[in-house]
Amino acid sequence: MKWLENFIFNINESAFKRYVVIAMTLISLVLTVMMLPAEMVLARMLPGKSTNTYSIYVDTPTGSSIQETKQVTDCVIDILKQEKEVTNAEVFLGQGSPLDYAGLVKGSSLKQGENVAEIVVNLTDKHTRDEASFSMVKRLRPEIQSRCEPIKALTNIKMIEQPAGPPTLASIVLEVYGKDEQSIRHMAQQVAAVFKETKGLVDIDIIEDEIYQKFELIADAEKISRSGVSLEQLNNILYLAFEGMEIAVKNSQNSPDQIPIFLVLSDSSKQMNSFSKRALEAKISALKLMNKKGMMVPVNELVNVVEVQSSPSIFSKNLRKMLNVVAETDMVSQLYPLLDARNMMIERFSEQYEVKKVEGMSTYMFDLYLTDKSSGKQFLLRWDGEMKVSLDTFRDLGGAFIAALVLIFLLLVIYYKSFAISGIVLGGSFLSIIGVLIGHWIANLFTADTFFLTATSLIGFIALMGISSRNSLLLIDFTKSLINEKGFEKNRAIAVATATRAKPILLTAVAIILGSALLATDPIFGGLGVALISGTVAAVIISLLFVPVLLYKTRAI
Amino acid sequence: MSRENDISKIPVNDYAGRLAKTFLYNPLTPILAVFLLSIGYLSLVIMPREEDPQIAISGGTILVPLPGATPKEIDNIIIKPLERKLREIAGIEHIYGVATDNVGIINVMYKIGENREDSNLKLYDKVMQNMELLPKGAMQPLIKPFDIDIDVPIVSIAFYLKETSKLSNVELFKKIRNIQQDFNEVENVSKTTLKGEHKEQFNVKVDLFKLSGYHLSLGQIMKALQSLAVNVPDVKSKVKDGGIMIFGVKNAIESIKDVQNVIVASYMDSPIYLKDVATVEKSFDMQNYKSAQITYKQDDGSFSPTQEQITINISKLKGTNAVNVAEGVIESLHEYSAELEAEGIGYIVTRNYGERANEAVNELVSHLLITIVIIAIVLVIALGWRESLIVTFTVPAILAITLFIAYLSGQTINRITLFAFLLSLGLLVDAAIIVIENIHRHMHEHDALNHNKDEIMITATDEIGAPTNIATLAIILTMVPMAFVGGMMGEFMKPIPYNVPVALFASLVIAYVFTPYLANKMLKKPKMYHHQHHFQKETTQESSS
Repeated sequence: MKWLENFIFNINESAFKRYVVIAMTLISLVLTVMMLPAEMVLARMLPGKSTNTYSIYVDTPTGSSIQETKQVTDCVIDILKQEKEVTNAEVFLGQGSPLDYAGLVKGSSLKQGENVAEIVVNLTDKHTRDEASFSMVKRLRPEIQSRCEPIKALTNIKMIEQPAGPPTLASIVLEVYGKDEQSIRHMAQQVAAVFKETKGLVDIDIIEDEIYQKFELIADAEKISRSGVSLEQLNNILYLAFEGMEIAVKNSQNSPDQIPIFLVLSDSSKQMNSFSKRALEAKISALKLMNKKGMMVPVNELVNVVEVQSSPSIFSKNLRKMLNVVAETDMVSQLYPLLDARNMMIERFSEQYEVKKVEGMSTYMFDLYLTDKSSGKQFLLRWDGEMKVSLDTFRDLGGAFIAALVLIFLLLVIYYKSFAISGIVLGGSFLSIIGVLIGHWIANLFTADTFFLTATSLIGFIALMGISSRNSLLLIDFTKSLINEKGFEKNRAIAVATATRAKPILLTAVAIILGSALLATDPIFGGLGVALISGTVAAVIISLLFVPVLLYKTRAI
Repeated sequence: MSRENDISKIPVNDYAGRLAKTFLYNPLTPILAVFLLSIGYLSLVIMPREEDPQIAISGGTILVPLPGATPKEIDNIIIKPLERKLREIAGIEHIYGVATDNVGIINVMYKIGENREDSNLKLYDKVMQNMELLPKGAMQPLIKPFDIDIDVPIVSIAFYLKETSKLSNVELFKKIRNIQQDFNEVENVSKTTLKGEHKEQFNVKVDLFKLSGYHLSLGQIMKALQSLAVNVPDVKSKVKDGGIMIFGVKNAIESIKDVQNVIVASYMDSPIYLKDVATVEKSFDMQNYKSAQITYKQDDGSFSPTQEQITINISKLKGTNAVNVAEGVIESLHEYSAELEAEGIGYIVTRNYGERANEAVNELVSHLLITIVIIAIVLVIALGWRESLIVTFTVPAILAITLFIAYLSGQTINRITLFAFLLSLGLLVDAAIIVIENIHRHMHEHDALNHNKDEIMITATDEIGAPTNIATLAIILTMVPMAFVGGMMGEFMKPIPYNVPVALFASLVIAYVFTPYLANKMLKKPKMYHHQHHFQKETTQESSS
């Protein structure tokens, strides 16, 4: 380590060389931080994880029959059967699949109705499979959607992957708030149109009921009372005839449940000839009620049939009416499509609406306030979903990071009783960000998809702060003891300390690098692994080169 | 014994030196090591394992049915008043209301980390207190709290009928019901549910035209059936001699024949049986549109035709070992395998979180081991094999302490806990490396000749004590604020701020206690070659003890 001793000694001897080192460090800091706005390093909370299972949610429009829904799921299953990595696929018609973490927040357990179905796809073990589940989802998504969605107009098929971290409703959720349902629906459609044009967004859906045609039987009060039947009787018989009812039960010794007796019209008697008012009238004319006198009264004589539109469900969040427009991201970070979509909305909506952005920094900073220029109706477009969770997490982690900085600084000040030395240690630690960013950039070059700067990268960076401050601490302590106890001259002491401490610093660095090497291949903790590896390399260079240079000019030593 | 007295005179400034001094000749040191390793191993074996950490998400769903109401009406008379009342509960983050035809649904999400039992109680309480706000005609509100541990099944098994089977779907369901009962017996199983099941039912399908032909109404048929299918308790009466005689009326409907032969009316003095106007069959609940299908890859690589199946879902109790519960269930299933085979019932385990958790844990444990070996090899090259062995020993000891403390604090082994260990692994060996490197350096220094081996151990440990303490404290300080990260992500990452600081603190203590002890036992002082730094000539040698 003699050469290192001389190397540091020579640099510190010449003012010019010292400035070169400092300038080089600062330039590389600026350059690497510039990688973020230049989008050379992309940020995302958590990347996808390859699993052995994924789900497909099928939603046919409200009012569809179970047979129609089944046609769509059959189509999806046919496509899945071509896949060699699929071991089995289950269809759950009219209900949600067995609950999983994704389904927990996506409302899978509440699903019920003839227009919903969920498909669970199980794959071969991820260790023996070449294709990651998220790549498979990306490949199959366009095929499934283009072939199966047209079977029934307005059908929506979503591919749901298991989340790597905490589950959210969707990657991107835009909550459209407003005063009345009609205009919210209209606004939501405009937003969905923007999403559809945004690159990188898939599985776009408005969480709402489709409006469909239905018929209302309006009871004629006078006729009902004259014919001696009651409205309740009419309702019951209609329900009994077409939906059926369990009218009695039978207990049985050799059955696990009671056996109900279910009464309904036969299929041929229930069936309508066509979807029309006339067919319905003809059908109910055959259905008769018996009045108190034992006379038969056909139902059609008691009611008027009117064709109406169904009224869709009304959604509210925290007492305000709203609709969710959701979208998934196709293996890209949510941040960039979100910003693209937002810009497109601002541009497109400013013709008809007055668009107001949110001032300042907050986790709601991407929200938009719209006011209709002609009608004065107000809307709020609020981003939620994974994006909100990401922003909240990055904000909190950022806070944790600042808190860590302050705590370390205070600790160092107590230990060294010098602001300058504490500042050097802390500044040196912070510079490991150079390594973190370059590491992510390189990892991205060598990854087939995108290697994101994730929440785990940030955790790695926070941990690095401590690690690199340890390097500097050992260095400073040894320098001080060389000067105080052995009477070394300052520059020589710094050089000797650097050379002597280089070995343990390098050894611990190697331990961290090797310890994190296996992490780097993990899809979720890869960010942390890369941050630790490349950050440690940077930290070693910083503490063996930059810190000694700074120490030379410090009077506290 | 004499050495013990001698080393007590060595001056030390730091806890590091003090610890090294205390344990250097202490006969309890090796016993302590064995003890630590065994509690660590025990914790690894008995700690509950699961794949994802438990996140305390509390919330619930309130369903209020009001038959015949439109969404607008529901919104005004159910959702809005209830939402206003729910706002009064502290700790609720979001309230989602959905007003649809006939029913109002309110989903409540509590803030992450709110106590689950309290939250559920508060929700129930608030709705029950305000029952009078609900409109007339509204049915009893259903309040369903959600619970990750109970609601997310850890095992699901799909049962299907093979081509050879003669069973019907209803008979399959009856078989599964029996198996379900046995699964519930398995220790720590909490909830089992079925999907895709079809229950037995008498279906009476009335022909509308025959009905008009006989001049009958649907209501008459209903009444005729109801009047016969009544279950009553037995009645008893006293007998003259003081005894009791018990007699009861049996339900008049026993078989499908009984249903078919119900007389619904008489027409021109001859009875009209139900079978004259309706077809009666004993089959499944046809009004239930829910069903489940499965297609699976057969041995020859082609897919089976999509066929009906029944899935049974099994959840575990909170805080229990997913691995054990899953194994218990699978074992219980195997008891049925011969019977199922004979009946032509096939099954596929479509979800096994227990196996996944075990795999994830074992994979990470093997990663830990590989990493330790790699680090050991590097240290052999850099410091020598004895030094490397000493450092390698400290790792399991540190992990043992951390695991044991994690076990005591009620944590489970999951992806994130192990990730915390992997993260700390690179940091754990640092303290030991720094100590051993300093010992190594002092042993090979020119003035080592003047000192005893144990003296070098203590002074070398003591020398780097202060900066290592401060540095480790600094790393601990970076981790602690992470415990205050809020939201789901914060809750998800909690094992990191909980375990990394413990591991780091343990690494310090272990490094100070065991590194000098083992070094004293294993390392030999090298033969000295005299060499001095040219600039060090004028420095005075420190006095020997």
